[in-house]
Amino acid sequence: MATENPYAQYHVVKKGDTLSKIAEEYYGDKMLYPKIFEANKDVLQDPNKIKPGQKLRIP
Amino acid sequence: MRFAKVFVALAATTMMLIGCASQKEPAEKAVAQIESSVAEFRADAEKYASDELKNVDASITKLKNSLADKDYSMVVKAAPALASTISSLKQTVATKKADAEALMAAATAEWGEVSAQVPQMVEAIQSRVDTLGKSRRLPANLDKATFETVKTDFESLKTEWTEATAQFASGEADAAVRKAREVKNKGDLILSKLGMTPAA
Repeated sequence: MATENPYAQYHVVKKGDTLSKIAEEYYGDKMLYPKIFEANKDVLQDPNKIKPGQKLRIP
Repeated sequence: MRFAKVFVALAATTMMLIGCASQKEPAEKAVAQIESSVAEFRADAEKYASDELKNVDASITKLKNSLADKDYSMVVKAAPALASTISSLKQTVATKKADAEALMAAATAEWGEVSAQVPQMVEAIQSRVDTLGKSRRLPANLDKATFETVKTDFESLKTEWTEATAQFASGEADAAVRKAREVKNKGDLILSKLGMTPAA
């Protein structure tokens, strides 16, 4: 099992968040949401289904 | 009267020769002991007290010249002081060696921590820089000029990290750790400019 990178950044999903909105917040470009989806495939099955409280890694 | 003078002169010369001959063995022994005692720690002395060793070597050469000139009394007289200097040098070398070893152990321990942290830091920054490089716009907390500075600083960070690892590999642990600290500080600044707060 790989150890967690202490320098990785995380985002805790809030009500109303979408991966696009999160991508815009961190990257300035909502079209980069697949980056976040790919980095969190262990917890996300569908990029359109995220739940408040989920902790997503922002690569 | 004349016979008496000759007798006294002969007696004095004989006594001197006997005295001289009686000091030959102690003089040779003293020089051998001195050379042997320096040989025991010469390698460390060359590393930790080379100037002091040069002075001792010069004194040994002087002593050996006196021995070659059969000036045994001079050798016997000078040997104890030189032996004392050598003993003091041996102590100095041992202290300096212990200090250097303690410093090396501390640097190696610190390197162990930093060498685990920096690659993770580089990985996190590289990932973000690559992603931002593909972005059509930058996030609200990052302007174009800052991002350009970040990219330049990050390239120099990677170069410095390569240098630090090379220094450590070549045994310069202390210098490697100093450079690694600079690299880590630079990385912290880049993370801050990118708005990347560390994981809680």
